[in-house]
Amino acid sequence: MEKQSTQQALLQIEDLRVDFTTYAGKVKVLNGVDLTLHEGEIFGLVGESGCGKSVTALTIAGLLPENSEIISGKVLFEGDDLLKKSSNQMRETRAMKVAMIFQDPMTFLNPVLTVGTQLTESIDVRYGKSIGEGWRPPKSGDPLGSTTPSGRTGRREKKRILYEMAIDALRRVRLPDPERMMKSFPHELSGGMRQRVMIAMALARNPDLLIADEITTALDVTIQAQILELLRTLRGELKSTIVVITHDLGVVAEVCDRIGVMYAGDVVEVATVDDLFAKPMHPYTQGLLHAIPIVTGGNERLESVRGTVPDLIHPPPACRFNPRCPHAWDLCAKEKPKLLAQSPGHFVACHLYTQERKAS
Amino acid sequence: MRTIEYVIRRLILMVFVLFGVSLVVFYLTHGVPSAWDPVTAFINPKMSAAQIQAIRVQHGFNQPLYIQYFYWLRDALQGNWGHTGNEALGQPVTYIFSLRFPYTVELAVAATILTVGIGIPLGIVSALKNNKLPDHVSRIVALTGYSTPAYWFGFVLQLVFFYYFAIWGLPNLPSHGALAQTLDGAVPRTTGIPILDGLLGGNLAYAWDAFLHVILPAFTLAFISLGYLARIVRASMLEVLRQDYIILARSKGLRERVVIYRHALRNALIPAATLTGLFLAGLLGGAIITEFIFAWPGVGQLSLVAVFAGDANFVAYYTLVIALIIIVANLVVDVLYVFLDPRIKY
Amino acid sequence: MTSAKRTRESQARTEELKYTLHQLFRNPLVVFGLVLSVFFIVVSIYVTKIMQPTEFANPLGFQPLSIGSLSVDPSIFLNILIYGGLAYLLQRLYDNKWVTIGFLAVVFLILYVPVPRQLWVVNPDGPSNIDFSQKLCWSNGLINWGTPPSACPPGSNYLLGSDDFGRDLFQMILIAIPLDLSIALEIVLIATAFGVFLGAVAAYSGGKVDEILLRITDIFFAFPGLILALVLAAILGRNITTLTIAVLIVWWPTYVRLIRGQILAEKSKNYVEALRSLGLSSRRILFFHVIPNSIYPVLVQSTLDIGGVILTFSALMFLGFSPSPVLPELGNLASSGATYFFLAPWLIFFPGATIVVISLAFNLIGDGIRDVLDPRLRR
Repeated sequence: MEKQSTQQALLQIEDLRVDFTTYAGKVKVLNGVDLTLHEGEIFGLVGESGCGKSVTALTIAGLLPENSEIISGKVLFEGDDLLKKSSNQMRETRAMKVAMIFQDPMTFLNPVLTVGTQLTESIDVRYGKSIGEGWRPPKSGDPLGSTTPSGRTGRREKKRILYEMAIDALRRVRLPDPERMMKSFPHELSGGMRQRVMIAMALARNPDLLIADEITTALDVTIQAQILELLRTLRGELKSTIVVITHDLGVVAEVCDRIGVMYAGDVVEVATVDDLFAKPMHPYTQGLLHAIPIVTGGNERLESVRGTVPDLIHPPPACRFNPRCPHAWDLCAKEKPKLLAQSPGHFVACHLYTQERKAS
Repeated sequence: MRTIEYVIRRLILMVFVLFGVSLVVFYLTHGVPSAWDPVTAFINPKMSAAQIQAIRVQHGFNQPLYIQYFYWLRDALQGNWGHTGNEALGQPVTYIFSLRFPYTVELAVAATILTVGIGIPLGIVSALKNNKLPDHVSRIVALTGYSTPAYWFGFVLQLVFFYYFAIWGLPNLPSHGALAQTLDGAVPRTTGIPILDGLLGGNLAYAWDAFLHVILPAFTLAFISLGYLARIVRASMLEVLRQDYIILARSKGLRERVVIYRHALRNALIPAATLTGLFLAGLLGGAIITEFIFAWPGVGQLSLVAVFAGDANFVAYYTLVIALIIIVANLVVDVLYVFLDPRIKY
Repeated sequence: MTSAKRTRESQARTEELKYTLHQLFRNPLVVFGLVLSVFFIVVSIYVTKIMQPTEFANPLGFQPLSIGSLSVDPSIFLNILIYGGLAYLLQRLYDNKWVTIGFLAVVFLILYVPVPRQLWVVNPDGPSNIDFSQKLCWSNGLINWGTPPSACPPGSNYLLGSDDFGRDLFQMILIAIPLDLSIALEIVLIATAFGVFLGAVAAYSGGKVDEILLRITDIFFAFPGLILALVLAAILGRNITTLTIAVLIVWWPTYVRLIRGQILAEKSKNYVEALRSLGLSSRRILFFHVIPNSIYPVLVQSTLDIGGVILTFSALMFLGFSPSPVLPELGNLASSGATYFFLAPWLIFFPGATIVVISLAFNLIGDGIRDVLDPRLRR
């Protein structure tokens, strides 16, 4: 059942440009990213490795590494420009509103701390203060949290509540034997279980925005399917907006409402799932979809997009796809195409749809 | 439990290594002809040649080397390590050693506390402010300490804090020995460690005096060693801070201090902990130069005297005990790793 | 290997080396350490090769004493022949001019920094017109050590004071620097070469050989360094050669362990398997591929060890193992100062300070190299 997404924009990224400084030069990772997220939807961000999807996510969360520089742009989240916030304010935002899940749960979980410690600290950072002031989590059947009459809560009581919330979160991600899991260390669990733990850490905080960065990439296909199923069922429970970052078109087809395609630091096409697969507009998207081998079809040549991913230290001018584009003409190297709507809800950044094609 | 199996395996290995060590030690102290005549430890100048010869036969010194080794081993395992050289005639080696050992322990523990107390924070600060001024400053301090001979630094400390302070009229720190002469014997000897004995015996002045005496030598040792520890801590901190789980911890919105203390340090300090254990073990062997400079009545200083006096028995005993301490310390540290790092299972 | 492939390979190595050097020189401390070490080496060469013995104050009728040497030092032409030939071979093998230049620099260091095996010690039958008024005096107007006996006879000017033989401490330190440096370099070079060779062979062969070697190094590691050095020194005797051997024996196991660890890590890497499948012999893989890739921590360790060896060696001298009380060696100079503790503090202070600076110079370089070569922190 498709959830009707409201038209309120939860997140709006305008013309975001980010550079990384490396020994070899400045890498222009993001070249003016435009993105809009609606409340309550599941948005898929796809693209090849190195196209800037993770960097976009890290910019939203304020987790860019030290050698990065935000050149320009705006990231409007619930009205505030995140880029203008101090690091302390961003930390607050991360604690209360934005949660991220990452790719490899083995390296992303602290090996010397138990699952319980890492889970409860996640919840503590979000709800700890409220619990201290008397808030209690909603129990099943009681949709809103309640407030105890006595106001301040002691530390023991708080620990107990956090523990219970953690157990509850583990149950919600369908992990067996949650009590035992709380005492385990990450290396004692399987890959799929670790990924569920990470998801539990995120969803226990009820974030407004949940970013899942390549969470299925490191998993077997069967486990992948389970995780995606979990995401789908959780979507009903959570009120969060979810961004699924992946390079796998199959994954986005499974769970997402809308998809954004990125190439070399630009968003080149945004559409609903059905629209994108039925009528891909950008030449890159078209190339991608043609490249998917169809098992049930007859024998055919394996197609690919010709050329290679550009060097981002010396990227191609204007439209970064133009060296590989079968339809490119001289305008493409002179003027960067903007992301514009070509039909309701379907945006493309390509001159093919906005300019008269000059003689090549 | 597999850990117990591991420990047992290591213990067996330890026996073999000790055996090898004992062979080397025996050869060095008894076998090399020009070095020491083992008989000297058992004779005094007044004995006649016949008596000396009799002692030779009694201890088997006229036998071929490998037979001597078995005599020696038999004696050793029975606890008879012979007597020290001529000066302390009649004193069994084990007795002398146990008399001096607590002083070395006091110095070793004090030096370790100082080294860890200064070295670890220095390393952490270095890592957090990587490549900025505090990092460079701490690097210079660390490397200078590492490059300094103990006798020179100890001497400089004595010069300043004992000699010149006295001349300038400032309260000065003592520079020799572990205790003021006048206080000797003021407190019953329970552990042999001056500070502890003072506290246990309720004599605070005694303990305080012992404390004052240990400051300069401990600081000398600490200054030399903390550089290395600080560098190790810095390196492992830097590596930990680049790990993915730190990114996740930050993404949870945790305060930076929590990220550092709860997530980073717990991982980064593991190598430092093992290093500290080995450091302490090494110090228990007696910091020879420092004890010499400060006239500290420890085991190291005694070994120096023994080497120069040709006291084969003491040197053999001492070397073996040190080797034992170090080997055991290695084992303890390795086992400790299991508790520090939950990923390790033997 | 075709020469085209070798050139590509050596180009890559050159690039790597250039990047490493660039990173290294960005660190001001390393540059400082480098400057200091070069300074000391220059001083050593000047003192041993250029200054004439008669320029030293020689009140006690010093006579030349030959000291046993562990390094080869035949006439200069023979040297050029031998080391030139080796350099040529090296260039053919590795085809990398930096490696060859490095090799020649090291050879130059060993052969031409060292003291020409002649030092000055008291001539027991020498003249007895010793002016003891020059003993333990301090005449430098800069600092006033203030302790008697501190006034030198008028007309004498000792920059750093005089020792208890009436010699100018400054000159003694100058002579001592090349001695200490050359001994340290020798020890480190031999220990490294020996340790690396043994360790590499053991690590690569594995099995029984590896086990035995490991146990032997375990035995050596069970002794704290100084104690073993002491005992060895006591046994082997009190001349420079034997003391050098003593320190050598204490030092080499570290390298065995180090290179073994590195090689074991390399051995399991994929490229080794790939090379083996191409048909290269084990020996070739070991010497041409695995060792060059594992050598960096050894390099770091040896640089740091130069300082450490100076410290240990001078400590042995300080504790009393020197062949002669007038041997101009930094630790030895300090030991005569220990007798006059507060009376003539400059006697320990300046030789010790020199040791600190020399050690520091090499440690700065070694530490800098370690930082740069840490594979995780590169790029």
